[in-house]
Amino acid sequence: MSEQTAEQGTEAREAASAVPEDAVDEVAAAAPVEDAAEALAAERAEKLSTAPKADDSIAVPRLGGLGMLRWMWRQLTSMRIALVLLFLLSLAAIPGSILPQNSIDPTKVTSFFAAHKTWAPILNKVQLFDVFESYWFGAIYCLLFISLVGCIVPRTWAHFKAMRAAPPTAPRNLKRLPVHASFTTAADAEEILKLAAKRLKGRRFKAVRGTDKAGGWISAEKGYLREIGNLLFHLSLIGILIGVALGHFLGFKGAALVTEGSGFSDTPLGYASLTLGPEVSTQKLPDFSFTLNKFSASYQESGDQFAQPRTFDAYVTFKATQSSKPQNVDVQVNSPLTVNGTNVFLEGHGYAPVVEVKDGAGHVTYDGPTIFLGQDEFFDSSGAIKAPARTKGGTDLGFQGWFLPTAFVQSGQMPASVFPAAQNPMLILSAYSGDLNMNGGAEQSVYSLDTSKLKQLDVKSPTANADSGNALELKVGQTATLPNGLGSITFVGVKNWAQFNIAYDPGQKVVLPAAILAVLGLIGSLGIRRRRVWVRVSEQADGTRLVEVAGLARTEGATPTAEVTQTAQALAAAVRQPAPDGASA
Amino acid sequence: MSINQTFAHYSNLFIALSLVGYAVAFFAYCAEWAFGTNSRFGRTVEKVGRQDAKKAAATADATVVRQAKAPAVESINASDGGNGVTVLTRAVAEDEEPTISNGNLRAELFGRFAVLVSFIAFAFHFAGVLCRGLAAHRVPWANMYEFSCAAALAMSFAYLVLLVLRKRVRWMGLPVTAIVLLTLGIAYTVLYTDAEELVPALHSYWLYIHVTAAVISTGAFGVATVATILYLLKSANEEGALPRLSSTLDRIPSSVALDRTAYRVIAFIFPLWTFAIMAGAIWAEKAWGRYWGWDPKETWSFIVWVVYAAYLHARATHGWKGKAAAYVALAAFACVLFNYFGVNTLLTGKHSYAGL
Repeated sequence: MSEQTAEQGTEAREAASAVPEDAVDEVAAAAPVEDAAEALAAERAEKLSTAPKADDSIAVPRLGGLGMLRWMWRQLTSMRIALVLLFLLSLAAIPGSILPQNSIDPTKVTSFFAAHKTWAPILNKVQLFDVFESYWFGAIYCLLFISLVGCIVPRTWAHFKAMRAAPPTAPRNLKRLPVHASFTTAADAEEILKLAAKRLKGRRFKAVRGTDKAGGWISAEKGYLREIGNLLFHLSLIGILIGVALGHFLGFKGAALVTEGSGFSDTPLGYASLTLGPEVSTQKLPDFSFTLNKFSASYQESGDQFAQPRTFDAYVTFKATQSSKPQNVDVQVNSPLTVNGTNVFLEGHGYAPVVEVKDGAGHVTYDGPTIFLGQDEFFDSSGAIKAPARTKGGTDLGFQGWFLPTAFVQSGQMPASVFPAAQNPMLILSAYSGDLNMNGGAEQSVYSLDTSKLKQLDVKSPTANADSGNALELKVGQTATLPNGLGSITFVGVKNWAQFNIAYDPGQKVVLPAAILAVLGLIGSLGIRRRRVWVRVSEQADGTRLVEVAGLARTEGATPTAEVTQTAQALAAAVRQPAPDGASA
Repeated sequence: MSINQTFAHYSNLFIALSLVGYAVAFFAYCAEWAFGTNSRFGRTVEKVGRQDAKKAAATADATVVRQAKAPAVESINASDGGNGVTVLTRAVAEDEEPTISNGNLRAELFGRFAVLVSFIAFAFHFAGVLCRGLAAHRVPWANMYEFSCAAALAMSFAYLVLLVLRKRVRWMGLPVTAIVLLTLGIAYTVLYTDAEELVPALHSYWLYIHVTAAVISTGAFGVATVATILYLLKSANEEGALPRLSSTLDRIPSSVALDRTAYRVIAFIFPLWTFAIMAGAIWAEKAWGRYWGWDPKETWSFIVWVVYAAYLHARATHGWKGKAAAYVALAAFACVLFNYFGVNTLLTGKHSYAGL
């Protein structure tokens, strides 16, 4: 044991990685021929030699297949490569936060495609809209985890051995250690060593005793938990990865838009979107259902946070299974509804204007709420109402436009909503007739019309605001008659809708404990100091004994100055036969 | 519960007063640094000495001359071991401890005055944050204005705690006060928003846990960054660069001590940052139905975490110790700043509450 300080505690990993790296450096240094004369000589030698030409450009030792693999493995598990991979991982995550992501908001990706016609397909090719599911991101963290395993497993074994081994023999000259305390005493050496051992063991040092030419000594070490914490942290990261994978394979998540008064049952049809893990079949969806009775929201009505939401409540009646008793719950943003491990979260909300559409003959062709999607903080909402004809081949009616919860109409300006709550609701709709193309092959958005086979109607009323364009303006209770005897539309009222996210993730049961262990491991790994303390008792010429206590940090900045001083003081106080003061130290 | 306007008013008043206080402290620290430079006479002597040294040893490296000034590294301490025995302790001194005032009385007085004013400003600052909480009946760090005030308070607190613990950290006073002043100034002028109730997404006790951990981590990472920047300057100076700053940099601790301070703060706070992210994930699971969704704030918190992890690894790797690791720490703090200002203003995500 030499007497350096922090450097002494170099990580096992580094030591392990130093070997191949040095080897590489040597090869690298040897390969390029620096001197001109040497180059000439080498050239000549090369001409004479029948050996295959060595590639000077890459500093890879020629080791054959197995050796090459071993070299690569050592490189991968070295701290340097781990560092590089960490940097790569952080760099790779950046585009995922800047570019729109399919996993977070696919509509934004669509609009990005529309805005950047040349760039978007190129970015898409390299999976920049699916960064966190991309091959290259996966490759980085897979390599990182392989590197981690390759480093942690040997370290675990090494630490297991270190914990079983006795602390190393005391150095001859304790004075050369960073902290050293000494006193002289007439007390018996055996007694001092016994006391010292007792004290150190009482402070949970691992201590051994020994004797050499200079006298008896005690070697003690403490802080093994530091490395255990370090290993625990890294192993927990693997646990988190396993949990994430489990959740991916065994879980599912979906979203459902439910209007007040209507219900949701957990079948694929009930979802607006549904992502099932590869190991989940639609039959395995839990058998629950619920009805949204009422949704209420409140907003800030004054000040510089005007229109900020304050409360959202979705009053829901749910049945855990088809046969179980219905129960009432208030689902809020931070209090989801939990049914047999599946959670139902309140994610968003909006307005669904209720309209009644009649055809030219006065028959009702559409009656009910239509979900409009809010586009801004004041819930200017866009949507489409589709009223197919009662008979095949008849004239379909379609409307698309805006719902404004609190309409503010001012001449010279487009009407717009000025508050998110429905205080002065208004519909501004363009009207179409013809064929809605709903039986066409392609799937249609419910929030917009396919106007390819539709003809826009001239519905501009003389009283309506000139700036709405060719559109109907309807307030609750108002009816507009369509031109050419095509029918009418009545704005009956307003309902709320709520978006529920429904998620089941069994991986959480692994991820959470692993994450807690990771934090505990980190605290141990960064907080515990590993250090050694030695006590040496040696006979002096005048018949007294010199007691020396010395310490060494095995981790940076952990020099046990106080521990050594206090041990020396306690020993001095405890021995029964003090030597007279002023004895040589 | 409605907003208590009286408390809200006093909160703003106290924050304004603390701004004034920090500004005064800042100028007093500046005066301490300025008066602490060696007197003109001293400077001249030093200059002449250096020239002589250069002449005397034209081949000798200038750094050797500078290194010669380093104090002895050992301290010997005799203590009473009881029973009439003297215990002699000999230890390698952990840091040399120069002072900013450099023994100049005027500088020392300004330094002490600055510390006094720092405490007063901190008291106003604390009162301001407290009143904000009392006004809104909740923790006062739920939007960018409040978070900035609280993070600045955490930073100020960390510095003053070290002072109270009789650590010699007055060299931190100037940079810490500057950052606190800047943060608080931006908060007060640009980010200000009235005390109001919370948006539904924040109606959770996780606000107390997750955001508190994030506030403390951010403040502490700021302190570590101050030490890292000073470390880089000091170590460059110790190698002979930046000769114009020598008289200033001579008065801050050695590069080894600065590096260790930065490391200790980061090593202490990294688990807390990990916990902050974890608590955020638990909250996200409760509020949004998934514990991790690569929302911009989540992504950048992850990036910050990975870069600080890289710093901790770099510090244990040959060839990366010292300056390289320090640059990694600076990059990490740049990510902290972007995670706060950039993500909140430039990117849209789920972490946008009350405007900002």
